[in-house]
Parts: sequence; C-alpha cells; structure tokens
Amino acid sequence: MSPESVLQELLARDLLPPAQAALIRADEARRPFSLHRELRLLLYLGIVLLSGGLGVLIYQHIDDIGHGVVVAAIAGLLLACLGYAARHRQPFTWAEAAKAGFLPDYALLLGCLLFVTLETYLQVQYGLFGTRYGLATLLPALVFLPLAYRFDHRGVLAMGITALAAWVGVTIQPLSAFTTNDFWHSRLSTAAMLLGLGLMAAGLLSERYGRKAHFAFTYLSLGSNLLLIAATATLLDFTPGAGSLPPVVLVPLILLVCAALVWYARRTHSYLLLLLGVGYAYVAVTYVLARLIFAGYDDGGAVTLLLFYVPLSAAGVVWLLLNIKKILRLK
Amino acid sequence: MSLHAYHPDWARHEAIHAQATRWHKRRLLTAEQLTAVQTAFPLDFYRPQLFLRIGLFLFTVLGALAGAGLLGMVVQFNFLGTLITTLIIGAVVLERAIRGKRLYHSGADNALLYLELLGLGALIFYFVYETLSGSNSPDPTPGTARLSVALLLTLAVLLLATLRYADRLVATAAYLNALLLLGNLLLLLPRGTLLLPFVLGAAAAAAYVWFTRQLRRPERLYYHRCLGLLRGVALGTAYLAVNYWAVREGNAALLSGYQPASPQIPLALLFGALTAAVPLFYLAQGLRRPDRTWLWLGLLTAAFSVFTLRYYRSLLPAETAATLAGAFLAALAVWATRYLQPARHGLTSAPDDADDPQLNLESLVVAQTAHSAPSADAAAGVQFGGGHSGGGGATGAY
Repeated sequence: MSPESVLQELLARDLLPPAQAALIRADEARRPFSLHRELRLLLYLGIVLLSGGLGVLIYQHIDDIGHGVVVAAIAGLLLACLGYAARHRQPFTWAEAAKAGFLPDYALLLGCLLFVTLETYLQVQYGLFGTRYGLATLLPALVFLPLAYRFDHRGVLAMGITALAAWVGVTIQPLSAFTTNDFWHSRLSTAAMLLGLGLMAAGLLSERYGRKAHFAFTYLSLGSNLLLIAATATLLDFTPGAGSLPPVVLVPLILLVCAALVWYARRTHSYLLLLLGVGYAYVAVTYVLARLIFAGYDDGGAVTLLLFYVPLSAAGVVWLLLNIKKILRLK
Repeated sequence: MSLHAYHPDWARHEAIHAQATRWHKRRLLTAEQLTAVQTAFPLDFYRPQLFLRIGLFLFTVLGALAGAGLLGMVVQFNFLGTLITTLIIGAVVLERAIRGKRLYHSGADNALLYLELLGLGALIFYFVYETLSGSNSPDPTPGTARLSVALLLTLAVLLLATLRYADRLVATAAYLNALLLLGNLLLLLPRGTLLLPFVLGAAAAAAYVWFTRQLRRPERLYYHRCLGLLRGVALGTAYLAVNYWAVREGNAALLSGYQPASPQIPLALLFGALTAAVPLFYLAQGLRRPDRTWLWLGLLTAAFSVFTLRYYRSLLPAETAATLAGAFLAALAVWATRYLQPARHGLTSAPDDADDPQLNLESLVVAQTAHSAPSADAAAGVQFGGGHSGGGGATGAY
C-alpha cells in the first residue's frame, strides 16, 4: 500500500489534519533512502572474511612471522578496538544507555573476541596459565562482565556468562569432560542447574532493583536454557550417573522453571521464553506419560496408546498456543 | 464462498498499521494519533510473534503427520485411501480453523496448507506416473510430455492455492513451477537446450515487469506480500537463467550419458559477460532508483558471481582472496557509512526510522497539530517514541 493511499485513508477517517498530511507527504518525497542494514551486512561480511583469511595466512606463515609479532599485533588491535569503544563511550547509567552508533558496539565486540584469541594464543604457545584452567576460563568472565555493564552491551554480557559457565564446568570436573567426552554427567549437570538458577535469579533481581533491567532477558534466557537443557539431558539419560538427581526431583524442577518462564513471559510479553517454557514442559510431561504407559502395559497396547498420544498432544499444544492470549490474558 | 480465504480487510489494516508505525517512529504522528489509527483499523486476526509462529508450525506438522499415520494404520496403509482421506480432512480443518480462529499466516494454517499441497503434488505425480502409464512407469525425466502434464497439474493447484491463500512460499513455488513447465516444454523442441537460458531469462524479466505493475494496483492489496517477494524471485531467476555456472552445469545435467566434467558451452563468452554484468546492473539500479529489492538481489547475485568465477578459475589462493575481499568490504562499509552520514544523493547510512536533525520534524508537527488536532495538545504531544538504533548484537528485542 503506497504511503499516499494510506494518507487518503487516514484523511477520509478524519484521523489526521490536512496540514500534517502535507507535511508527511513532503517528508516522504524528500526522505533519504536508508542503507543502514546493507552497510552493516557488508561490514559484518568483511570482518568475517578478513579475520578468517588472516587467521589462515598467519597459520601458514607462522615460521616467518614469529610468535612475538603475532601476539603484539593481536594485542595492538585489541587495544585499538577497546580504545575506540572507550572514546565513544556514553556516561554510565543503571538504565539503558543511549547508543553512540553501531561502530563502537562492533569495536567492543571485536575487542572481546580478540581478547579470547590472545589468551588462547598465549596459553597454547607459552603455557601462560599452566594447568590452572580455572583461572584461564575465569579471566574472560572477569573482564567481560564489567565491560558489559560499563558499555551497556548485551552481546558482551552473553560472552561473559558463557565464560562463567565454562569456568564452573572446568572447576567442577577438571578435564574429565575432555577425556570421557561426557559433558552432562552427574555433578556437572547438577552444577549447570545451580548456575542456571543463579543466572535466572540474577536476571530477576536486576529487573527488580532496576540495575540494568534490560539485561534481565539475557540472564533469564541463558540461565533457563542452561538449566533446562541440563535437567532434560539428565532426565533422558539412559544410564544416569551415580550422583545425578532422580526424575522425582527433575520433573518438578523442569515444570517449576517452565511455569516461572511462562509467568515471566506473561509479564514482559516475551514469546521466546514462553515457547521455551511450553517446549520443555511438553518434553517433561511426555517423558512422565511414556514412563507411566510403559510401566502399565508391557504388550502392544502401550504403543497404541502412544500412537494416540502424539497427535492428540500436538493438537493440544497448538490449541494452547492459539489461545495463549486468552489463557495468559495478554494485552 | 469468496475467493479469498482471509478477510481482505486484514491485509489493508496491516499495511496501514505498518505505515503509521513508521511515521510515528519518524515522529510524524503523535502517540495519540497512532493509537487512534490503530483503533480505527483494528487487527482482529490471529498472527502471533515469530517464535510462537515457529512453535505453531512445528507442532501442527507433528500433529498432522502423526494423525495421518494413525489414519493410515486404520486403513491398513492403503496409499490412495490414506492420502485422499487425509487431504479431505486436512482441507476441512484448514478452512474451519481460518474461519473460526481468524488465523492469518499464523504458522498453523501455513503448516496445514503446505502439507495439503505436498499431498496433492504426491497425488498428481502418483496419478500421472502410476495410473496413466501403461506397462512401464518411468521416472520423471526432463523434456518429456508426461512431465509437462504433471507440472501443468501442479501449477494449476499451486495457482489456485496462491489465489485463495496468498501465501508467499506457495506463490514462489507456483512461479518456479511455471518456469519449470516452460523449460520442460522448450526441451521438447529440437533446439530447445540452446534457447533455454534466453527464453527463461526473458520470461523472468517479463514476470518481474508484470509483478511490479500488479503491485502498484490498489485492488491487488491482498497479494502485496506475495508480489513483493515474487519481484525479488523474478530478478533472481532472470540472473540465474543466464548465469555461466547455472547454464554450464544445467547443460551437463541435461546431456545423456555420464560426463566426468561439465563440457564447455557454446556462447561461453556471452554468459560469462552476463554473469559479471547483471549484478553490477542490479546494484546500480538499486542505488539509482533507489529500490531495496534490486539492491539485495544485486548483493546476492554478486556473491553468486564470485562463486561462479572461483568455481572454474582460482585466481588467488582462498585465504589471500578472503583477506583482500574482507579488507575491501570492511573499508568500503566504513567509508560509505561515514560518507553518507549526512544524507547525500538521496541516500543515508542512518537507520530508516531515525530522527533527522536537519528536518526537526518534531517541532514542525507540534506546531501544526497544536492548532488543528484536539487530541494532541502541546503537553502530550511531546511524548513521542524515542529513536532507537541498535548495533553489534548489543540490543535485541525478542
């Protein structure tokens, strides 16, 4: 629908004074065409290509260049990025800070990625941290989290939280994750659930007390995902480890967290969290029903029951989603 | 029963909402005026936010397929019996759900529609290749009259579905089906392979002109979403029809017998030149008009032309090429962002809904509306929505 025909509709309904319509018409005629998204896409592509190509080039010529030069170059670039971001920083506020544009944001993100690169490089080449992997994983978290708060950057916050999760994992179960390739085992998954709970609490508290309230979504989505994935993986583990939580604890925990997610989604109109809640709850309920059905009948009857359960439950979820506004009294 | 499955007002109201929201973000409408527009043109259909639509789509597919499986078990997996019964039930459910729940491309109706059309397509191909054939039932091969019949039938189904449901994916499928049918008919001719790229390219260009013309007509509002996408698809297919890689590999695929490598094609120079020129033409048009469809297709086709070049000739080692191209792209983006910061040549690097300091529209609007509009008194009129621009993944509103 052309802007002109929309204007005609609004004028016909008397929703707009003619003078303002003339103003809008003038703005439509002279407004410049925005290349914002296209330029951002080009910038992103350029950085990806450049970093990938440079990485391979350096890898191929490492003997000619020498490690010191590479480290110095990465460190220089890192400082340049952070310096650029710091030069364009906004005054600190607990509320959502105004953006200075997208270039400083990207500079900060690139700086943080370079920090990880530099740290990894130093560890691999010079063994900077030795075998103290806990310190190596905690350091990015300690750098990123304050940066995220100071520069009001949700991407850096997510990186900091990820580093924190890595630190917890390495501290709980040093190296066994790499040797047994069994990431979600007993103590580790319990720790992941605890960390998830902590992150969710951090999100709720930051919103409650107005300390970077817009970070709440990042905390909540990452925390709830971590918790629910860990709990569901433990629940569905065919051979649960010795220390892992029994289904009697896990199923109520999952359902409780899902209910909390739905409650929060209802408050903030966040449909992503709502979908997460419904999806994980569906898995948990299906698990319980399947266990009950298979415990009750050991013949073909169980399969028939399940055959009816799948389409009916899917229809039930569709019905729930279609009526979600009524159920949740959204808007 | 009307032709349109959805109420025609929904598309109109949605377009008005989108336009009014844009104006509000640009501070040309006050918040009160926006609310007034939204109440005057209500969106009384059901289309939830993207993530819910994905959820609805997945669960509808799961439920429908499981239901079809259940039905299949009841009728002892008789192919035609299962398929036809499922299709009838699915169509009834689809129509009743749209009517009763006022769904409007909400995920659930999309899923049912796609499954329905897939089922119909399977039915058509089964009918053409199993029932109509005598003793032998050959696989579909391009350039046969039998395939043309099948494609004609599916095209009819897809066209009818597009006319009724105005779904973008179905519309694209119908368009591509028409191109396939045209190509297949050409292959029936003795010199068809040679004509194929030019006829398909011309057909796509003609389709583009027709789609653009239809898009301008107010009575086609119901199909605006489809037509907007089809314009881009038409430009893309026009390029692909004459792209060197597509022509050469397509030619090799159509040749009978095993080919170790695709042979050189006649008029290779012409196709190579077109492969290089078309993206530049698209980009230039996109910036000159300016038109986002041309611009995006220019970017996409440029990427595909680079792929085509590197597929046959590796000028530089991959890592050197990536480094140079990356440095060039990043530098170009940074330079253009700075160059276009105050708008030049009718282009700007600022977001579309950003407030324009040069225009200072806000004071103008307040000055205009303070006298004439009773709803927008000066005190309330200042409460416009703030300009918002995000970057670097720093913001994300889900």
